Amino acid sequence: MKEQPHRLKWHILFAITILGIAAGIYSASQTINYNWQWHRVLPYIVDTSPVDIIAQGDGSASINNNSLTITYDNGAPDRIINNADTILVSDGDIIFEGDLLARQENVRMGVLIEGLLTTLEISVISLFFSLFIGLVAALMRISNNPFSKNLSLLYVEVIRGTPLLVQIFIVYFFLGTVFDLERFTAGIVALSVFTGAYVAEILRSGIQSISPGQMEAARSLGMTYPKAMMYVILPQAFKRTLPPMASQLINLIKDSSLVSVISITDLTKAGREVVSGSFATFEVWFTVAALYLLLTSTLSWAIQRIEKRLANNG
Amino acid sequence: MVNAYKGNDMVVTANVDKIYPNNCHALKKVTTNIKRGEVVVIIGPSGSGKSTFLRTLNQLETITDGDIIVDGVNMYDERTNINKLRENVGMVFQSFNLFPHLTVKENVMLAPLKVSKLPKSEVDAEAQTLLKRVGLAEKMDVYPAQLSGGQQQRVAIARALAMKPDMMLFDEPTSALDPEMVGEVLDVMKSLAAEGMTMIVVTHEMGFANEVADRVLFMEDGVLLVDDIPENIFGTVANHPRLQKFLSNIL
Ligand SMILES: Nc1ncnc2c1ncn2[C@@H]1O[C@H](COP(=O)(O)OP(=O)(O)O)[C@@H](O)[C@H]1O
Ligand SMILES: [Mg+2]
Repeated sequence: MKEQPHRLKWHILFAITILGIAAGIYSASQTINYNWQWHRVLPYIVDTSPVDIIAQGDGSASINNNSLTITYDNGAPDRIINNADTILVSDGDIIFEGDLLARQENVRMGVLIEGLLTTLEISVISLFFSLFIGLVAALMRISNNPFSKNLSLLYVEVIRGTPLLVQIFIVYFFLGTVFDLERFTAGIVALSVFTGAYVAEILRSGIQSISPGQMEAARSLGMTYPKAMMYVILPQAFKRTLPPMASQLINLIKDSSLVSVISITDLTKAGREVVSGSFATFEVWFTVAALYLLLTSTLSWAIQRIEKRLANNG
Repeated sequence: MVNAYKGNDMVVTANVDKIYPNNCHALKKVTTNIKRGEVVVIIGPSGSGKSTFLRTLNQLETITDGDIIVDGVNMYDERTNINKLRENVGMVFQSFNLFPHLTVKENVMLAPLKVSKLPKSEVDAEAQTLLKRVGLAEKMDVYPAQLSGGQQQRVAIARALAMKPDMMLFDEPTSALDPEMVGEVLDVMKSLAAEGMTMIVVTHEMGFANEVADRVLFMEDGVLLVDDIPENIFGTVANHPRLQKFLSNIL
């Protein structure tokens, strides 16, 4: 109870510091005459611009009860437009190919949100592959067989010893050409193989941290090595490796921004595109950062939930 | 033939040698046999090879030379399925080695479910019976970390019994326990012995050896030096100078 006012003081100091940083950023931007225009970012998050409906051939228009019918001269089937919000031609008008016929109000995802979803998709798919690759590599690494041991060791060393950016280029330009991979696939392959090496090391140390007595007890009950691994060792190792695993998987989300170099429109690439179209450079990058933070903090929260669930036992 | 002879002997070892990779010669020409239903206690100073010997009997350690036949099966015959053999040989460790991520009952049920693939209801009922038997009926759903050492060791015994083994190996089952908990574990072991279980027990509990053992083996420096009935081992004239020295040191 005595500590209460003390803690409050520090909370207040924290709030003041954050406000100070925000004010600092604002005044710094004032000195370079930056004009904050947050509203310019909005269309790239929720796109409310109407969709144009364009004529696909020459013909004539007829309107009846807000329904626009285009009869084409070349005998193509009539086009009936019921759902237009504004009709820009009149009854009986002659229409030429390419004419703007009508507009439709539309709310759809902005470019940044589409980029966010791409990043999410790449991250989630790579997450599952990297856990799988990492598990296989870790099991190979701790096996007694020199072949699998060395193969796994080589994999981990090569991947950890080269930059991810270079690996993405190699996968895309070399493997991508040889095996005819799409850029999206290439990005996932590069990210999964890269993260898998780190996951392998985390899992290996987790497995090796389990007392050898656990394996002996399991084997002495008649369990085969795979069964002992599956039911006794791995559940304990997974639990122990959750904290380093969480930070590695958060890294995966952040590392996924590098696939933008092979022209995948992920969140980062979308950010670059939006900056050149909107001239709101600072706002866009702050927004992009916030969206990444949304993804990483969600993952971090989910893993903490799992950790709590497992904490009651053992 | 793997199963040619399944006679009165539960274990036969002949000239068993074990040299660890670090060149430690842990077992030297160990030859003995243990009959069905026999309770054999192994004593000897630390580092004399007692654990190593016990662990060769379910192949947690492989041997360098010699022969081991368990329940009529030559362990090193290439047709021998070591996992099948282990199902029939329970082991209890000094450090319990319960599975910390499973509840007490799940610890007992795991092997029958995953190895013997028995139906869950049957395994569950059997686990409850076993836990009742070791006096832990009310602890079924707690995790091992919440149990005392003595309770954990009794769970470990129940876990081994769940596979319905013909023989039980105990490696210093009470050495990690507080003195007041030794009795509860020994009582469970005594009741097992009384039921006719074949048991090989490495222990420093000379009272238990004297009371329960049919035979006592004394090992030193990897050699099986003395193999005799407890009366002769603990009698007034232990007729072996090394054994005498060992006993006078620990009693
Ligand atoms: N895994 C091992 N690797 C190398 N040497 C070992 C190993 N386990 C035991 N030893 C050695 O073998 C000898 C016998 O050990 P052990 O069987 O554990 O004896 P005890 O159980 O009688 O104390 C000791 O000298 C010990 O150092
Ligand atoms: Mg020992």
